Amino acid sequence: MEKAHILHLYQRAGFGIGPKTFSNIQGLNRSKIVEGLFEDSGKIAPLTIPTPEIDEHLATKPMDRKSKRFKELVKKSRKKHVVYNRAWVNRMAQTQEVLRERMTLFWANHFVMRSRNIVFSQHYNNTLRTHALGNFKDFVVAVAQEPGMLDYLNNQQSKKGAPNENFARELMELFTLGVGRYTETDIKEAARAFTGWRHDPLGNFKFAKKRHDAGEKTFLGTKGNFSGEDIIALILKQPACAQFIAGKVYRHFVNDKVDEARVAAIAKVFSKNYDISAMMRFIFMSDWFYDAENMMSKIKSPIDLLVGLMRVVPFNWEKPQQLKYIERLLGQVLLEPPNVAGWPEGRSWIDANTMMVRLKLPSVLLKNGEIAFDVKGEFEDSFEAFSKKNNFSRKLNIATNWEAFEAQYGHLTDEELAFYLLGGAVRSGTKRFLQTLELENKQDFCIQLMSLPEYQLC
Amino acid sequence: MNRRVFLKNSSLASGALFVPGFLKACDAVPSLAMGAKKLVVIQLSGGNDGLNTLVQHTNDNYLKNRPVIARTKQQLLSVSDELGFHESLKAFKGLYDEGYVSVMNSVGYPNPSRSHFRSTDIWHTASGSDAYLQTGWVGRYLEKVSNSPLGAIEVDDTLSLLMKGENINGIATKDARLFYRTTQDPFFSNVLSANTDAHLSEHNLGYLYKTALEAKSSAGYIYEKTKVYESKASYPKNAFGKQLKTISEFINSGLETQIYYASLGGFDTHANQVNAQKRLLEVYSEGIAAFMADLKSTGALKDTLVLTFSEFGRRLKQNTANGTDHGAANMVFLMGENLKHKGMYNQAPDLVNLDANGDIKYQIDFRDIYASLLKEWLATEPSTILKGRFQTLGLI
Repeated sequence: MEKAHILHLYQRAGFGIGPKTFSNIQGLNRSKIVEGLFEDSGKIAPLTIPTPEIDEHLATKPMDRKSKRFKELVKKSRKKHVVYNRAWVNRMAQTQEVLRERMTLFWANHFVMRSRNIVFSQHYNNTLRTHALGNFKDFVVAVAQEPGMLDYLNNQQSKKGAPNENFARELMELFTLGVGRYTETDIKEAARAFTGWRHDPLGNFKFAKKRHDAGEKTFLGTKGNFSGEDIIALILKQPACAQFIAGKVYRHFVNDKVDEARVAAIAKVFSKNYDISAMMRFIFMSDWFYDAENMMSKIKSPIDLLVGLMRVVPFNWEKPQQLKYIERLLGQVLLEPPNVAGWPEGRSWIDANTMMVRLKLPSVLLKNGEIAFDVKGEFEDSFEAFSKKNNFSRKLNIATNWEAFEAQYGHLTDEELAFYLLGGAVRSGTKRFLQTLELENKQDFCIQLMSLPEYQLC
Repeated sequence: MNRRVFLKNSSLASGALFVPGFLKACDAVPSLAMGAKKLVVIQLSGGNDGLNTLVQHTNDNYLKNRPVIARTKQQLLSVSDELGFHESLKAFKGLYDEGYVSVMNSVGYPNPSRSHFRSTDIWHTASGSDAYLQTGWVGRYLEKVSNSPLGAIEVDDTLSLLMKGENINGIATKDARLFYRTTQDPFFSNVLSANTDAHLSEHNLGYLYKTALEAKSSAGYIYEKTKVYESKASYPKNAFGKQLKTISEFINSGLETQIYYASLGGFDTHANQVNAQKRLLEVYSEGIAAFMADLKSTGALKDTLVLTFSEFGRRLKQNTANGTDHGAANMVFLMGENLKHKGMYNQAPDLVNLDANGDIKYQIDFRDIYASLLKEWLATEPSTILKGRFQTLGLI
């Protein structure tokens, strides 16, 4: 397999590749290398952090939501989210299971959910990880029964005679079919079928039979006493479902610009058993995946950018809150999607502001530089936070491991280093500019390469 | 833009901007040619419950459908025997009483979408519910009239579809100084000046370079122009108050930017609506009143118009979680000194004749309002910006 093709595969299926991994697989053919990615991701390693106080609270009887103790717990839960955010970023930066983590990140922006309860957030994150390469139907059912999702889209409150439509609508619009492939009546009828899907205080899924509307429903042209599972099965029978997912996968893993014929080919493979691994294997094995127009053509998400930096020059966020600030400046705070549609990705990551932050980021992070934060309160959090908000400048507390960089990249020529970081993306003007630089050491050169607009691509 | 307006405005362009050479080369006309009129667009994101904002407290259908969340006459700020504003809107009601507000009821569009994203896109792009446009109406204004990213500023971290044109995007900034400092780095200046060829926007890489170049020139311009002025007015200490203060400072410092956009989120009140809406409307009311008073005191209000909208209203019938689900038509506020219809523009929503979902039917197409703003305020032929023909309503 060509060197540039291996880099492309690892950028899309993982978070880039370094010389060490590269030397292990160099010389293998495409199918061996693709299979290797699946084998590396064979096991499922849950990502957890301890949350003893919240666990204890959930296990005891409901607390007065206005009590001081409850408010403290809400605060604790918020802080734990910041810690979990860092744990997730570290996982992506350090894992060998790159494909599973790449898929987990992808699905987190597909089955979008946000919870204030760290126990629910963790559980959800691990459900994404568990099903990331599995069966899509099992995945949809699991997501629908997650306590965080039941709360987020108001199914917890939905009951016979008064169904809440929020989950039914987003299930079809965003998770499975895409807008316009169903009617308002389908939403109302599906909402009836999901009545009674709830969770107990611990977060366990419960089917509350008394709240469930077992009556006849007319859904997508068929009649029956449908349950929630029936609705999901009926949705997945629609050809539109596989097409919708295939289109989204194509835009994320291949190119912002959709090629209808290829999307149809992916959908055909996917619709057989809704096997996510089979779909991804088909894409990575296709010749067109390696077309020049697809390589270095996508704009990295903020998380791709951060994780990519961490995989080249390992560093540790000593203060997890600072990671969150940086994510916010870049426009993507993990565990805090803007809304149920998630981040729009692609060019929408880039505007004048985020662009400048991106270009400045490597020197700020790796040279212990300063950056100005605009700390902003959030509506979902508390109104008190607004009054405390101010702008300040602060040194980042980051422990950079340049030794690890030297061990892996130190022996490379400048050109080889540029290949791992930029592939073939460098503009001619930039090439000329780089040649004029006085290169004193590899570390500075590395930072300069990562500060180029070219480095924003993958 | 007609020739007369163009000539009148062209003096603003002289030397004020250091637009990169290749961008200038792409432009057939000078880069900055903007009128004096300002438009401030505010979105109450999530879908504000208009029926609990302007309340028909004597209407049986209102009371019957909202047994828990209905506002009572005693709570409301009285407008008439049948109507009252939500109790959190005290400061806003002051503006209303003084004739600075025009309330347009039942604004929407045919076949309304009840999805936040789709309906926001529809409002931002000024499309019908059957069309998918990739540019916002403000973005198209930037391309057709301002011909510069500086024609519109979103006071936020991220740029919305509203602000995006095909080749020109508006600028997003909450803090001019921070924005400027980020762009001042010799390394970037050198990288950017090494790539000045003309065909930069065709691929993603070109798009990145073009954006970086625009960022650098825009940040410098905004900062230089606004760094001295500081508003003396006091604004509520919250994110929305800060956004409005920033807009005021930009306007008052003489920045040529014509359109500003800010959004206030959190209105998606599916559960326990009463407390959430109470706080949110207070944030809105206090902020907007401070803003209007500030502009009034500097004399800028005569050239400033404020439009407030929400992507949809909420259902008349409350749900079992003491909240409301996504609805359809909703109210729009216009604020300024030059309103033709002070007070209520039209009747409060019809709560009897609802659509099949039990939602308010629209009486006014939101694109008629856009057309009116373009023609009557921004002196621009609406058909150059909006796709299709819409009537103007004689609002300003």
